[in-house]
Amino acid sequence: MSGSRDAEYTEYVAARLSSLRRLAAVLCGDWQRADDLVQAALVKLYVHWGRVRAASHTDAYTHAVLVREFIHERRSTWVKRVRLSGGVTEVPAAAVDHDALLDVRAAVAALPARQRATLVLRFYCDLNVDQVAEVLGCSPGTVKSQTARALGSVRRALGPAPADGPGSQPTTRVGPHTGEGAPGHD
Amino acid sequence: MIESQVRALFTAIASSEPGASQVDTQLAHRRGRARLRWRRFGVAGAPLVAGAAVAAVALAVGAAAPARPSGPVSSGPPAPRQFSPLTPYLSFGWLPAGISPVQGGMSKHLVWLTAARKLDAPYDWELSAYTAGTCHLSGSAARELKCTAPEDNTIRLTGRAPSLHGHRAFWAGTWDTPSLAWQYARNGWAEMALPFYPNNSAKQAAARRDAVKIASHIRYGAATPPLLFPIQLTHLPSRWRVSSVTYVPDAGVLRASSYALGAGPPNLGADGGLVYQTGLPYFAVNPPSFYGNPPCYRGERGSKIINGYQVVVTNVIKEQLCAPRARGLIVVISEFGPHPAISVNSLFGRHLRLLGPNPANWTSKPIG
Repeated sequence: MSGSRDAEYTEYVAARLSSLRRLAAVLCGDWQRADDLVQAALVKLYVHWGRVRAASHTDAYTHAVLVREFIHERRSTWVKRVRLSGGVTEVPAAAVDHDALLDVRAAVAALPARQRATLVLRFYCDLNVDQVAEVLGCSPGTVKSQTARALGSVRRALGPAPADGPGSQPTTRVGPHTGEGAPGHD
Repeated sequence: MIESQVRALFTAIASSEPGASQVDTQLAHRRGRARLRWRRFGVAGAPLVAGAAVAAVALAVGAAAPARPSGPVSSGPPAPRQFSPLTPYLSFGWLPAGISPVQGGMSKHLVWLTAARKLDAPYDWELSAYTAGTCHLSGSAARELKCTAPEDNTIRLTGRAPSLHGHRAFWAGTWDTPSLAWQYARNGWAEMALPFYPNNSAKQAAARRDAVKIASHIRYGAATPPLLFPIQLTHLPSRWRVSSVTYVPDAGVLRASSYALGAGPPNLGADGGLVYQTGLPYFAVNPPSFYGNPPCYRGERGSKIINGYQVVVTNVIKEQLCAPRARGLIVVISEFGPHPAISVNSLFGRHLRLLGPNPANWTSKPIG
């Protein structure tokens, strides 16, 4: 890239917009909200562009901006209050079990923002634990525990597995405040 | 098993991408520029990790730090104690060829004006002027200009610049956001961001020369084209006032492009060129051509008809109503906070007069 700060920013955003939207959609589970999230993140990206372009991995920095914006948004109590439906928007599934996918989708949608972000970074972005920790601004141990808790919640939401013991819970325990006490970084 | 299901879910979501993006990158660019204007120096003060090149620039900047001025400048008329949000205070008397004013704004303590080749081109020149007493020199050897409104900003001074009409001036900013700061009136300071040419010292030097010429020709408080609003609000609480405005030149007038209402000290601070207050609305009113992408979602969810106009209401971070075809204009009403005094639906349906796209029908009184 060459030229001024603005030219660099414009060039980068044009090249990465589609992938940012996809990441935002995976985080939000909703393309409408995803576009809002990307819109907000792009403003922050511009403000921090001096640091973004100085970062060793521009995409990683950009993903961090997007993910933190997602967590910050979801952490707002007002947003939680007004987002009444909690509805799961339809997603045209590809060659997978549609019903199972909807069940997983519902379970993931019920996760706290940080846990969901952890899963997205691990299983969509394919980042390792250390990389996720860097993006989320927490320790690798926290990433591991958040991942385990998130997967556990999804597993429970999908129903008790045969191997589960008597202590298993048939319904999800996650709620809007669960798991939000992880180290902050906003 | 669970991991693979989660991966499949994420892949399915990502592969269901709708064709048309609703993200307006040009709007994000503009808002980013505006936000940077307010926060530039706080951001620049954060650690930069750019290796030796940055360090070398920083050292060079440090070497060029100005000496303490010989004494205060106290001659001439004083700067305004407060700006009117309805009166553009700044205008350019000279600009380089091909450059023209593209956007401006006013709030209580800050007025700003940008100039570029076109609105969505990178803003080559960004002029800001502060009210009397808002900024003052500080730091050892007066290397900083501290401004306390609309947010605390510290402008780093890097060297003396040619004086402007007898008033002291300094080169300022950081390695990638150079600027010129000067005292434009007694007790009042102005600052103008310059274009940045990272690999062209000749062009950067020319930009500095242009900056001095631009700054010496700026008109303060002079008459400008009228500021007109394409909508008018009615029957609002008596304490509500327009607290900040952004405008664009349009058909020979200055069209209010966005503006916020206030009824007291803002508790959300300043951002995007506006001063927000929780529970009070802010408005953006522009022709469709202003946007790179239409800002209203086309989906049916949240869509309704008010007074015969389709509106889309969303609740993401803030409550927002977007009317994509409101007498030829796109009207966006936004409110932060859980308890707005008047909902966006009510504002659009009961408190808004749409004046259409013709400037002849616009008003200088945003609250009727």
